[in-house]
Amino acid sequence: MVTINIDGKSVEVLEETTILKAAEQAGVWIPTMCHSEHLEPYGVCRLCSVEVVRGKRSRIVTACNFPVRGGMTIHTNSKKVQWLRQVIMELMLSRWPRVRVVKEMAERLAVKEPRFPSLERDEAEDACILCGMCVNMCNDVVKAGVLGFAHSGIKREVVLPFDERSDSCIVCGACAHVCPTGHIKVILEDYRGKKPEFTLGPKTPIYVPTLQAVPRVPVIDAESCIHFETGGCEICAKVCEPNAIDYSMQDEIVEIEVGQVLVSTGFDLFDASAMAQYGYGRLDNVYSSLEFESILNSTGPTGGKIVMKSGKEPKAVGIIHCIGSRDTNHHAYCSRVCCMYALKFAHLVRDRTDAAIYQFYIDMRAFGKGYEEFYNRLLDEGVTMIRGKAAEVVEGCWQGNGEPSLKIRCEDTLIGKFREVPVDMVVLCNAIEPRRDSDAVRRLFSISKSPDGFFLERHPKLDPTSTATEGVFIAGCAQGPKDIPDTVAQAGSAAARILSVIAKGEVEIEPVRAMVQEEYCSGCKICNNLCPYIAIEFLEEKKVSHVNEALCKGCGTCVAACPSSAMTGHGFTDAQILAELDGLMI
Amino acid sequence: MAYRTYLMVCAGTGCVANQSMKIKDKLESEIRKRGLQDEVSVVTTGCNGFCAVGPLMVVQPDGIFYQLLKETDIPFLVEEHFVKGRLVKELLYTPPREKAPIPKMSDIPFFADQTLIVLRNRGLINPENIDEYIARGGYQALAKVLTLMTPDQVIQEIKASGLRGRGGGGFPTGIKWETCKNVPSDTHYVICNADEGDPGAFMDRSTIESDPHAVIEGMLIGAYAIGSREGYVYIRNEYPIALERLQVAIKQAREYGLLGQKIFNKDFDFEIRIVRGAGAFVCGESTALMASIEGRPGEPRAKYVHTVERGLWDKPTCLNNVETWANVPQIIEKGAGWFSSIGTGDVTSDAWGGSKGTKVFSLAGKVNNTGLIEVPMGITLRKIIFDIGGGIKDGKKFKAVQTGGPSGGFIPESLLDLPVDYEELTKVGSMMGSGGMVVADENNCMVDMAKYFLAFTQAESCGKCVPCREGTKRMLDILEKITVGKGTEEDLVLLEELSNMVVESSLCALGGSAPNPVLTTLKYFREEYEAHVKDKHCPGHSCRELIQYIIDPELCLGKGHGCHVCAKNCPDGAIVGETKQVHTIDVMKCGKCGICYDVCKFDAIHIE
Repeated sequence: MVTINIDGKSVEVLEETTILKAAEQAGVWIPTMCHSEHLEPYGVCRLCSVEVVRGKRSRIVTACNFPVRGGMTIHTNSKKVQWLRQVIMELMLSRWPRVRVVKEMAERLAVKEPRFPSLERDEAEDACILCGMCVNMCNDVVKAGVLGFAHSGIKREVVLPFDERSDSCIVCGACAHVCPTGHIKVILEDYRGKKPEFTLGPKTPIYVPTLQAVPRVPVIDAESCIHFETGGCEICAKVCEPNAIDYSMQDEIVEIEVGQVLVSTGFDLFDASAMAQYGYGRLDNVYSSLEFESILNSTGPTGGKIVMKSGKEPKAVGIIHCIGSRDTNHHAYCSRVCCMYALKFAHLVRDRTDAAIYQFYIDMRAFGKGYEEFYNRLLDEGVTMIRGKAAEVVEGCWQGNGEPSLKIRCEDTLIGKFREVPVDMVVLCNAIEPRRDSDAVRRLFSISKSPDGFFLERHPKLDPTSTATEGVFIAGCAQGPKDIPDTVAQAGSAAARILSVIAKGEVEIEPVRAMVQEEYCSGCKICNNLCPYIAIEFLEEKKVSHVNEALCKGCGTCVAACPSSAMTGHGFTDAQILAELDGLMI
Repeated sequence: MAYRTYLMVCAGTGCVANQSMKIKDKLESEIRKRGLQDEVSVVTTGCNGFCAVGPLMVVQPDGIFYQLLKETDIPFLVEEHFVKGRLVKELLYTPPREKAPIPKMSDIPFFADQTLIVLRNRGLINPENIDEYIARGGYQALAKVLTLMTPDQVIQEIKASGLRGRGGGGFPTGIKWETCKNVPSDTHYVICNADEGDPGAFMDRSTIESDPHAVIEGMLIGAYAIGSREGYVYIRNEYPIALERLQVAIKQAREYGLLGQKIFNKDFDFEIRIVRGAGAFVCGESTALMASIEGRPGEPRAKYVHTVERGLWDKPTCLNNVETWANVPQIIEKGAGWFSSIGTGDVTSDAWGGSKGTKVFSLAGKVNNTGLIEVPMGITLRKIIFDIGGGIKDGKKFKAVQTGGPSGGFIPESLLDLPVDYEELTKVGSMMGSGGMVVADENNCMVDMAKYFLAFTQAESCGKCVPCREGTKRMLDILEKITVGKGTEEDLVLLEELSNMVVESSLCALGGSAPNPVLTTLKYFREEYEAHVKDKHCPGHSCRELIQYIIDPELCLGKGHGCHVCAKNCPDGAIVGETKQVHTIDVMKCGKCGICYDVCKFDAIHIE
């Protein structure tokens, strides 16, 4: 520790601290325009010039990179320092008169009209002020080495190599993050990391996988994290106090041997851009229900505030039911949960804003405990319910002030009239649909699907959790659209079924099952692929097929297909059946 | 094989550009023609220094100096001098305003007043032959150091000598070496800065061209003292001859076991690598130079952590300029006492207390004897310009001399008795710099001169820091405004303020010294600025916008009889008049190119 004197204040700081940090400690403000705590001091704006006195010698140094030494006296606001800052600021202001950070700094340093007119004057509000922070970020921290300076002297500018888009740029956005003027813009389409799934806006490589996850543990996406690309950055490790960041962790595939499986793979949301009339993906402020859910979420992109893209609160919100469900062009079934979450949305919008709310429904399906009561409460809250499927969403404007708006066109079947309702925001209640990869999952477990595409249960009424494959159970929206209570009930039932088998310790198998007469089997493998229960395997050493008796359901498909009649029912061979028939005939 | 006579033909860049190699070939063929090839040998040497009269040749051992040679002169010269034994008077040097030629090189004032340490071998050895360097005592200092001295003794010797950095900074070399040596590290580097970028300066180039081994030997001694095993020479690619000679010299030194491993069978390894610079002025700044060697853009950084502690690749690095390194072998050989007996001040207690040894200057501008000179520290500027330099060209009046390259200040006549000394030059607003010296005469406009040099430094600014990038450009704008006659008195105040700001707050020495020409001219020649601003008049008659060419009718008709030459040569057709009549210049058409002024034999054209 050394003691230094800054503007008459005595401060004790660690040796080799920069004057800037020491001044911070002493509560003395020193202007900077090229300094960032994440970067090594660059010392080019020279605004942080201070006067250092040691013994009889006094000299001007830059505070950002000059290390303090014991007994130093520093004047951060002497006449000379003020003069230097003033002239430097004049130079910057005359070149970039409209850049906000320059204007603000000039104001703070009481510089008004620059005395030196600049021939290189740049009127842009987001002009590059050559502070170099982006270049240093890209080269020293990120280590991507994409940004650099070209030309010398007054012609200096920040460029990409050969002024072209660089393959080395992974659009990490670190340069734009440090840019004080907004000169650097990130084109999200070029972003090479994970695209946001359930949230709006860009997603950083470090994120909590789901909103309000418990425990709230963030993950690093190795695809978009710069560190895995260049070996640089590591800012997260620097700021993480418990030292929890471990870059050496790898994805791993774990193989676990199990006797039973509960398939609860969930659902996908219907992509509303398939119904172009509603403008999803085309018009601003048209959201899917999940996107709106993330807007409502207190940890979401807007911090739970309901705002439009412009940042303003909407004056009216329209909620359109049955997008893709109850629609023979897409899904004929009812998604079951939409009516209730649409009511919840309406309730929250009413709670958080003064917006008018319109619900466009075909039928209100508020079945279930307490649901109808909630619907009635919403009616009391003044939500406008319009019975009629919305026809389309178009752009329009508010009467009176002419501000842009959206218009929902529909036929109100209760009053028998065509209506156009102006709103600022539209929320679409997208259908629940089977997951894209459900067919692959189905084949893996030999589960069938019902006509709507969801996994087929063994019996819709008597056995809604098990499947035709022994030991494979289903629950939740993988089986069909349902809300959370229903899913919990179904999953509980499936778990109980699984536990009962585990508790018993043994498995009962079907009495009727197939068997291979190995002396007749030619090893053609026709039966292998036909078996719907993947019960037939091929014994390479014997060159014959073999039936796994625990899996075989005795359906007989293989028996019928076997060209050499080697496959036969166990206890039901042709000879046995013929003998039984003979017995009957007597 | 010994010859009767040696012809030392200068093969410095200036003479080579003036076809000295053709002269050498012609000499050889003429000598062979006359069967003298076993008696007369033709040798190419490094720069002789007297570039104003090149291509030139010295006949040794007599020391006869032939100048301004042409290929066509050679047969006659060979016949007269080497066959008949008569001097060719027409090719000897005659000082301006005198009639009798001076045959001997040592009698010519240009050479007589010089003291040679760094350039001691110039014109005497073939720089591409290591044996000639060794024959002149080369590598003896290295042998002495490696066999008789410890590194600390070497450093003490250099410290005692008072040698200071010849690149411009004037930092005491011994202290630099000592600090570098004392930084604990597995690797130390030594660097030779041969990135001489000053316009009109060629000290380092000529030193390498005429005596590359002196630089290599100096670096070897420095490396031994510091404990370095690796050295770099950063040389600009625009110096092809210097580069080639250096490559040859390094190769030869390696063959002789003077570079490489176990030098002189001692536990001392050293290797030199050449790095070619692309010609950026700022790369002569040590931190920018190191960045350039590392392969990064050549931009300086703040030197609050010195390069001797963290330099090249963050290792302790000792960087000295060509001339500094070339001084080292001589100091070791002849002793610190001998070296410190030359020069000013006293360095025994304070390393900054004086300037010792010699300094090489490249004398340019409006002096008669332009060229390369080596003079003892403490010599007055007047002696350099009027004795060695032979005075001002065409008998004009001296106005100012700029020392130290494009960022040096202008020194007026009243200060001509100033001794050449680091501190003295700095005191009057100029600097030693790397040794550029440009002389201005009464016809030079000081505002224009300041503008010229500022335009250079402004263009060479890397643009990293605000004061240098923006400040020098704004200064140039103001100077531009003044030279076209649009300046105001307020502009002078702003210019001065801006200059002081750039000096105070720039990141590196380029910005810190770039305003020197402006500040010194404002100080010593303010009346010229005021003439531009107030009277819209250029006293040096060189700012185009402020002058007018006028034909004196009496002289035109009286002396020249209306010769019409000016009208014929005028590219703008601005001169009206018939032969044998008075000519006049149409001011509206005149492009002020000055051709008429140059072609008029009767001095009938005036500038106003």
